[in-house]
Amino acid sequence: MSVILSVTRNELRHLVRSRVALTGLILVALLTFAAALTSNAYQADQAGLRERLQHAADQDFAAQPNRHPHRVVHFGHFAIRPASGLAAMDPGVEAYTGNMIFLEGHRQNSANFGDARQSSLLVRFGQLSPALVLQVIVPLLLVFIGAGMIAGERERGTLRQSLLAGISGGALLSGKALALGLAALAISTPAFGLLLWLGASGGARLSAVGLTTLGYVAYLAFWTLLIIAVSATANRSRSALIGLVGAWAFMVVLVPRVAPEAAAALAPLPTRVETDIAVQRDLRSMGDSHNPNDPYFAAFKQKTLKQYGVTRVEDLPVNYRGLLAIEGEKLTSSLFDRYADQAFGAMEAQGRVMDALAVVSPTVAIRRVSMTLAETDLFAYRRFLEQAEAYRYDLVQRLNRLQATAVTAADDAAKSKNAAAEARSRISADHWQAMPHFDPKRPSAADVVGRAVPALVALLLWLAAGAVFAARAGHRLNRSAA
Amino acid sequence: MKTVDGDKAIEIADLVVRYGDRAVIDHLALTVRAGEVYGLLGGNGAGKSTTLQAILGFVRPSAGRVRVVGRDPASEPAEVRRAIAYIPENVALYEHLTARENIDYFLRLAGLRPVADEINKAFGTVGLAEEAWERRVSGFSKGMRQKTAIALAVLRRASVLLLDEPTSGLDPGATADFNALVSRLRGEGAAILIVTHDLIGVADIADRIGFLERGRISDEMVAEGPERFDLRALHNRFSRARAA
Repeated sequence: MSVILSVTRNELRHLVRSRVALTGLILVALLTFAAALTSNAYQADQAGLRERLQHAADQDFAAQPNRHPHRVVHFGHFAIRPASGLAAMDPGVEAYTGNMIFLEGHRQNSANFGDARQSSLLVRFGQLSPALVLQVIVPLLLVFIGAGMIAGERERGTLRQSLLAGISGGALLSGKALALGLAALAISTPAFGLLLWLGASGGARLSAVGLTTLGYVAYLAFWTLLIIAVSATANRSRSALIGLVGAWAFMVVLVPRVAPEAAAALAPLPTRVETDIAVQRDLRSMGDSHNPNDPYFAAFKQKTLKQYGVTRVEDLPVNYRGLLAIEGEKLTSSLFDRYADQAFGAMEAQGRVMDALAVVSPTVAIRRVSMTLAETDLFAYRRFLEQAEAYRYDLVQRLNRLQATAVTAADDAAKSKNAAAEARSRISADHWQAMPHFDPKRPSAADVVGRAVPALVALLLWLAAGAVFAARAGHRLNRSAA
Repeated sequence: MKTVDGDKAIEIADLVVRYGDRAVIDHLALTVRAGEVYGLLGGNGAGKSTTLQAILGFVRPSAGRVRVVGRDPASEPAEVRRAIAYIPENVALYEHLTARENIDYFLRLAGLRPVADEINKAFGTVGLAEEAWERRVSGFSKGMRQKTAIALAVLRRASVLLLDEPTSGLDPGATADFNALVSRLRGEGAAILIVTHDLIGVADIADRIGFLERGRISDEMVAEGPERFDLRALHNRFSRARAA
């Protein structure tokens, strides 16, 4: 072990005394620090802002005066997604999906039919997050620093001298890998520090912090082993550098960029316009509650009269317009839900294609692990949309029931012509003040971890493959120093 | 220097090394004893480098046997290399380290614990100027690098020295210093194999000289009397070997 540490110490001394390498390390460490600091500040600001906005929306909704319940339906409400604990580490798809939904009757106002292609890593180049730095920039710097660690020694002849001193190829390679790993840890420290801070400050679950740390350590350890193994195998440091930059471009840039395209080709997703047209077409064919000859609503009317044991709408003990609103909302919501389910089904199919590409790129795997544990992935977004929709539906139906029970049919019919009827159709503001607030529930820790496990396993398999490659390269080194 | 069990520090018997169909070493037999300097002369392509590679364990023999201090370099390369100090024509040192740091590092790789006084003494023994001890080796001359490498060999107490064209490019003064050092190490019991083109230089210090032709020792001369070698005969033999 002391021999390995001697190699490590010598390599670190070389990095420190080499101004180019040291400058690169310092710059990337500063970049990681800046990313951690700005991302944390931004997300903290976002968390506060979203909380204030939700509170303001709740207050505005409750502050409505006495009015007709259907006006409240169209006054609407807002559902705002609370910031997740590790969004400062990895904002994931949040920047593209939006975090606020306007809730109103008869509509689902959200970007839930958006195109999954927006989650491409290249698109995210513009955002500086600790996750982006660790996934993309740190491996590239390690490539530039580590490509010549052994191949360069082979060129200069010191590799042979070292092996002739009696050290085994495996021990030499281990010492170099440890040095490169420590360099990676040093430049990644601000990001890991942010993770610890988010865990310690109670913003994130410790299970998510621990597994995210494990994921990134495995990812960077894989790169470290790959770089050292390629350097040990190559005859020249230039060859090692070219090969490793190619591997970086393929695994970090190309596959994550091509993955959404491949996913979109294999599991096509309708565009927003196509979906809107289809929804409108289905809405028209669904039935018109204002048309007395519409077969669906004619049947609904007969069923309602029969249920209450009367023959005329005017004899119903409840306001028929309220019942129509309830039925109409049920119909339109089921239609919107069907299209949303189709869209999310296609997105999940795309997600499975992208996940499968983790077998050719560990970057795909670490992105999945990172976004899932940060709860900033598509699943977390869908969960927010579904909870917002459930809240919207419940809110609208409560108001529709108020229309059915608290507003008489006569007043409702006459309110546009008769001021007294209009005044009576306004019900007390106490009703909206008593409405529940939007309170989305986070998925359980076990659920989040469970969804991250497959990608984490893929990542650990990459690490194991890197270790096997490095062990073989170390063994070969005993005979290939010439 | 460590003593070697038996006196055959390097023993090569019936060694064959093939690259594809071509036998680069063809039934080579060579022995270097403890306290002996063996000069191995040969033309380009005679197999000198491959012989060194086989002794160092970088080449696996196709047939035959190589033993260094009783061990097989092919199966125990690390153990064998710990017994060997290899000094190539161009000594490779870590340019970012000083002479002392280089010695310190290589000793640690050999599993030894460096002691500053012993390093100072070794530098003194090999004649490396004191002002160079704490300087980075990037500015060292070839002679200074060789002195550093020999200081390392002294400190490692290597029982076998492999010297590959050690005096090539050295001025006469540095060559004389080098030869004196080699003689001293021989006196301390080291087995020394010198691979060289320097006929005159090797005749000064070798106890035996072997001529390598087409991968085998074609002739061997032994130092005798105060003149040690008949230089004319040596020159004629070497010319024939190079022409072969």
